[in-house]
Amino acid sequence: MPNKFTAIAAGVLLAAGALACNNDTITNLNQNPNNPTSAPPGPVFTQAVRLSASRFIGNGFALRQTEFVAQHWAEVQYPDEDRYARLGPADVQGTFNGAYVSEIEDLKNVAKGGLAATNPAVYGPASVLLAWDYEYLTDTWGDIPYSMALAGDSASPNFSPVYDAQKDIYTGLLATLTKATTDMATLPNAGGFGSADPMYGGSVAKWEKFSNSLRARLAMRLVNVDKTTADAQLKAAFAAPGGVFASNADNAQFAWPGDNVYNNPITDNFITRDDHRVSNTFSNILVGNNDPRTPILMQPTLADATKYAGMPNGLNAAPAGTYFLTSSRPGAIFFPGATTAGTIGSSANKKNPSYFMTYAEMSFIQAEAAERGLGGLAAGSAATYYQNGIKASMAQWGVTDQTAINNFLAQPAIAYKGGVEGLKQIAIQKWVALVTDGAQSWAEWRRTCQPSAIAPGPGAVVAYVPRRFQYSTTEYSVNPDNLQAAINRQGPDTFATRMYWDKSPSAAPTCS
Amino acid sequence: MKVPGRLQRLAAGLLLSGLIPALAAAQGTTLSGRVTGESGAPLASASVRIPELSLGALTGADGRYSFTVPATSVRGQAVTIMARRLGYEPHSVAATLTGTGIVTDFRLTQAATALNEVVVTALGIERKKSQLGTAVQQVDNAELNTTHDLNVVNQLEGKVSGVTINASGTQGGSSRILIRGANSITGNNQPLFIVDGTAVSNNAIGSDANGSGRGLDFGSVINDINPEDVANISVLKGPNAAAIYGSRAANGVVLITTRRGQRSGGIRTQATSGVTWEQPSILPTYQNQYGQGAGGQFKFVNGKGGGVQDGNDQSYGPKLDGRLIDQFTGPQQPWIAHPDNVSSFFNTGRTIVNNVSFSGGTDRANARASIGSEAVGGIIPNNTFQKFTGLLSADMNVSSRLSATANVQYVANNGHNRAGVGYNTGILEQFIWFGRQVDMNALRNYYTDNGQLFNWNYNYHNNPFYLQYANPELDQRDHIIAGGSATYKVADWLNASLRSGTDFYRYNINQNYAPGNINFTNLAFQGGFYYRNDYSSQNNTQLLFTANKGVGSRLQLNATAGGNHRYAAYRYNTTASSSILAADIYNPSNSAVSPTIGLYDERRATNSVYGTGSFTWSDFWTVEVTGRNDWSSTLPKGNNSYFYPSISSSLVVTDMLPSVKGNFLSYLKLRGSIAEVGNDAEPYQLQTVYVGNANKFGSLPQYTLNDQVANVNLKPEQTKSSEAGVEVGFFDNRITLDASVYNKTTTNEIVNVTVSPASGFTSAAVNAGKMQNKGFEALLNIVPIRTSGGFEWTSTINYAANKNTLVALAPGLQTIVLGSTWTLNTEARVGQPYGSLFGNGFLRDSATGQLLTSGGFPIKDPNRRVLGNINPTWVGGWNNTVSFGPFTASALIDVHKGGQIFSVSNMFGQYAGVFAESLKGREVDWNNPGLVIQGIDQQTGKPNTINVTAEDYFQNLFEIHEAFIYDDSWVKLRELRVGVELPASFTSRLRISALNIALVGRNLWTHSNVPNIDPEFSYQTGNYQGAEFAALPTTRSLGFNVRITP
Repeated sequence: MPNKFTAIAAGVLLAAGALACNNDTITNLNQNPNNPTSAPPGPVFTQAVRLSASRFIGNGFALRQTEFVAQHWAEVQYPDEDRYARLGPADVQGTFNGAYVSEIEDLKNVAKGGLAATNPAVYGPASVLLAWDYEYLTDTWGDIPYSMALAGDSASPNFSPVYDAQKDIYTGLLATLTKATTDMATLPNAGGFGSADPMYGGSVAKWEKFSNSLRARLAMRLVNVDKTTADAQLKAAFAAPGGVFASNADNAQFAWPGDNVYNNPITDNFITRDDHRVSNTFSNILVGNNDPRTPILMQPTLADATKYAGMPNGLNAAPAGTYFLTSSRPGAIFFPGATTAGTIGSSANKKNPSYFMTYAEMSFIQAEAAERGLGGLAAGSAATYYQNGIKASMAQWGVTDQTAINNFLAQPAIAYKGGVEGLKQIAIQKWVALVTDGAQSWAEWRRTCQPSAIAPGPGAVVAYVPRRFQYSTTEYSVNPDNLQAAINRQGPDTFATRMYWDKSPSAAPTCS
Repeated sequence: MKVPGRLQRLAAGLLLSGLIPALAAAQGTTLSGRVTGESGAPLASASVRIPELSLGALTGADGRYSFTVPATSVRGQAVTIMARRLGYEPHSVAATLTGTGIVTDFRLTQAATALNEVVVTALGIERKKSQLGTAVQQVDNAELNTTHDLNVVNQLEGKVSGVTINASGTQGGSSRILIRGANSITGNNQPLFIVDGTAVSNNAIGSDANGSGRGLDFGSVINDINPEDVANISVLKGPNAAAIYGSRAANGVVLITTRRGQRSGGIRTQATSGVTWEQPSILPTYQNQYGQGAGGQFKFVNGKGGGVQDGNDQSYGPKLDGRLIDQFTGPQQPWIAHPDNVSSFFNTGRTIVNNVSFSGGTDRANARASIGSEAVGGIIPNNTFQKFTGLLSADMNVSSRLSATANVQYVANNGHNRAGVGYNTGILEQFIWFGRQVDMNALRNYYTDNGQLFNWNYNYHNNPFYLQYANPELDQRDHIIAGGSATYKVADWLNASLRSGTDFYRYNINQNYAPGNINFTNLAFQGGFYYRNDYSSQNNTQLLFTANKGVGSRLQLNATAGGNHRYAAYRYNTTASSSILAADIYNPSNSAVSPTIGLYDERRATNSVYGTGSFTWSDFWTVEVTGRNDWSSTLPKGNNSYFYPSISSSLVVTDMLPSVKGNFLSYLKLRGSIAEVGNDAEPYQLQTVYVGNANKFGSLPQYTLNDQVANVNLKPEQTKSSEAGVEVGFFDNRITLDASVYNKTTTNEIVNVTVSPASGFTSAAVNAGKMQNKGFEALLNIVPIRTSGGFEWTSTINYAANKNTLVALAPGLQTIVLGSTWTLNTEARVGQPYGSLFGNGFLRDSATGQLLTSGGFPIKDPNRRVLGNINPTWVGGWNNTVSFGPFTASALIDVHKGGQIFSVSNMFGQYAGVFAESLKGREVDWNNPGLVIQGIDQQTGKPNTINVTAEDYFQNLFEIHEAFIYDDSWVKLRELRVGVELPASFTSRLRISALNIALVGRNLWTHSNVPNIDPEFSYQTGNYQGAEFAALPTTRSLGFNVRITP
């Protein structure tokens, strides 16, 4: 019967057709045509450098959060962050989450590849920058995932890493920097990043200096809780191959392309926003000391073009608004030319560098070490280091009038006094020099209690200045057990809890 | 009765009525006859009527009727005699009233609403509903097109039980449709759309309405379907009904069948036209006592902060008491309220819809051609849409064994100057941050005489008219749905058919930004642009054998076996720049900076074999089994093959036991089924990749490791579903009920779980999680009144309650964040229904539950918690249709009960002192009397006595989400139609055979508990829902619709 035959034939055809589709190879269609599975280290490093700067010394975490806490600047229109009302877990989680998944994960992979290739010119800089990123994280939150972090793509992935004690993280970071310097010094120039390194153009020698300087920063941060380690690490950092920063030419910084795709993030913010004003805390120190940096770091008020003035931090919106015309905007150097508020500054400012760490800061670390008799520096050298720091900062911000600088240095309030007063002077001038780096300024205030004028504003939601930020809401959702263990160890997840290096304020002579 | 041509007949009628009026007899005319079913059995309670004269009678038990037309009404005119009975197709014949008695018998064929209804099921196979073991609900053309909406999906709102539709308010925007709840945690939850056998994309294009991005909703592709062309839409509700369509049917199937040509001979023409006018259904209630500013102060100098609070975009300024204040309109202007300044921004929208179709055929071939157009002038100034649709379908019997069908639809869809939604782009944003004194009419000239931008604020907002007139947006979609099939009758009992269908579209979006656009351009340059091109295609080719054989006299066997190959490609590229050099030249070559470019390419394929087998015993008991195996390209080798079966059964009790059938019980059918559906992954989840950055850093290329880590061991996910249903009719089918209970569980879900970012990744694709939906749905149809005078009232109620539970996620994982806005998350949390609103509430005294205060303000509870859930308790629709003579009126009420939403509009409307609620505490002046919040002072432990200003109070509520979470219950008068079928005596004078004119309205009335906004909104079609910001309200429309049959 032909019909039956046709049916059978068709059935066979169908089965054959299904097999002919070759279901084993259908998966080949799933090769991602958009993105590669590997990338050369240079471009990954470039992006990590850029993202590190945007994240920690850019316009969110620095300009809108930590700079209000550190009180260089204040909010004139939307003062929630300035009142600590918008610094909660959900507000700061972006910084915590983003750092790990973007630059830290990328730097880990670059370093891993460099280690596998025994190329310290690759893993050296990557490790140094990795340590720099981790330092901002731990100084903001305290205990954070570290030793077991970044294992999401390992053979047995860890999607909920434990939190390490900050003490151990500092130990780890100091060890990382020690190894980076040592290895870069013993095997120099084995083919580095070259131009893919926007910071130093691939110069391993410069990265050694950055590594040692950062090590000194970390060491000094521990001084109130572990003076022995601080001393030993400072000594080792000063003596390490390459030395520490010796001029502004050594600064860990890079200039932004300023091409309107990648502008300096602070100038980028001011294109459309006009809600920052200089804080009274900053203004009183600059204006009160006739600081030659005043006309650079502040603009005359809109109400009176001859006047520089600050405003209080942490006001409620209505009283804050009354300072719109009567307080100074941040300096024109931070403004990009055309803005919604008119032309302020110059479009060249879009290329302004972001400062990861400067010679000025380094000098103040040396001054403090000398004054405290740490790191093997002679106590008598503190004044010189102190002046080096001020001069470096003047130069960094473009003050060229040497007479003005000398007059400034000669003032009784500024001339180095030594002793506890000297330590206070160092701390205050360091805080001035750290403007734009809110996290470092805030950390130094926590360590030194200087400037002592930093206090919560009248609208602040807590009656003290935060000692830390609260953990990411994402971590509460997806890593609750490890987070709880960290809270049990460190203390409640509030603004008030002090982290490891902040535990002994009485040990800081400048706090009395 | 076969008439050579309706026109001739009508002409004859016209002649008769026009030329021989004298024949109008002095005596009445008696009409009588008998109404029977197909078998010849008499039909009682059938209505026989002359609609034009509103006269008629019901048949008795013997099926006989009789009524008399009074002499005064008899003028020798042509009339229509129509016989109708529930459960049967209405039938009408023409007659001429001349005074002599007219005897007309009717033989009605069974159809519609009863068990014998034929519905379109999987693979487009028409099946008797009595033999279906699964839930299917069909909406026919007339029911679908009661009123008109830009999006055909919205025309289903309130009509199908178990289906939840959320329209975005934006005209031309997308609508989210969920059938029996969400199955997938992070994957697609939208049903599969099939048009004439061809799978059709329902991609939604645009950015989230809340995002900081572009904030335009470009609609979803299914919007393109012309509702006039739809013969019916079948909704296959569960995976049970849809197992045969494979993975993508796990969320149900919406089967759209277009109208086809009749084989009755002759050509039928039909034309419809409609015009409606639209207005926003809901606008916020504003305060009109205080103008712009803060702390009771305001003085305009430059609108950027140069004056007193003039950079401010809030209305906590001076009282609007007519004092003279420098304003953006000039110095020393009277400071007065403009209560209508927002409503006057909106236009009355206008939609004109035209459609003409021709259909016809012979016994060998038939075809239908249809052309439609739709022109919309939006409620937002300068916003328009045009749609052009063309459809051609044909069927042909090539020989006695071979038949073929083909259809092709082309749609051109153009949108101009769509209104933005959400932050930055939202056109409503600046009416939430606003100066209440602003005279909207003053803004209509958005450039000053010397060419400068003119606005009330230059810090944060663009002039809304400038946005709509000077920043042109144009999007164009060309969409083709084409399919063809050939069926060969291998034997009397066996057919083989080959079907192939393609759905493809190209979509271009051109958005230009004029110089000075604050949000999207670099102010140092002359504007910017964003261009996007999408290309999507999907092909399905299928070979199917269908066997149908009777064994003996009582057993009927059916079987199908087939295979399908599916291939889908999707690609888009974007080019954007925020900085162009020469004004008005929107070209990448004119970009002052490197334009941002992007390209995404996606391909996937599935091979499948499947089969079904069923037997029907004595027409009352059917059992069907199905099985399918898929091989998917998106799963790893070894895990990419998966099989899933189903079994269903139906039993018509009233046919099995005819004795139970009677006046009370008309019919009773029971059904039940169990099914499984497998599902594959989204493409490209098997390898962790590096993501390049098209923007060079200076001259340096950049790469970063992707934030999602790959999983080389992904397995298919599985949905298991069981359902049971009853279909029952009472009192001669005057009450019918179709009800189902179901239980669906999806396991092994392929979830992009959020992982600790400290792992180096934000998410990982894993097989984890289990989500359950249990529900009940019912469709109740009642005919409370049916009179011999031809009055009939039909009431239809549909109801659906779905209870969703996320049973488990990955081990150790309690929640997945689906989206977040102002730190309020929409999450999938274990133990909760999908879509928890998770955020910050008020801090309360644990003993008394009273608010704790600090400095007079409520305190944000730092411990975040679940504040609500987006899932409604139940949804329903209630439609009432009343027909009397030529008049038909219907009203559809759409109900959404329960669930919560977070309204950012309300948060900022109060923060900014713009909404009426913000008057509390400043009844006398901006700082008087102030507010003493009832609560306990956290410091003193005593009742709060601190008086705070309204401004400080409302601004302190910022991100205390609990204050802005609302019960999302609402009732809408979704559709209203009052139509008249004009009498033949009138239409004949116009030389047409039928004319229906209707008044139509949509969304005419809304009741809701959510202040200031339309409670119905969606962020496109994705899983992130529940948070609203500056969502555009749905439109309220009213107009006319005319249907002409020449």
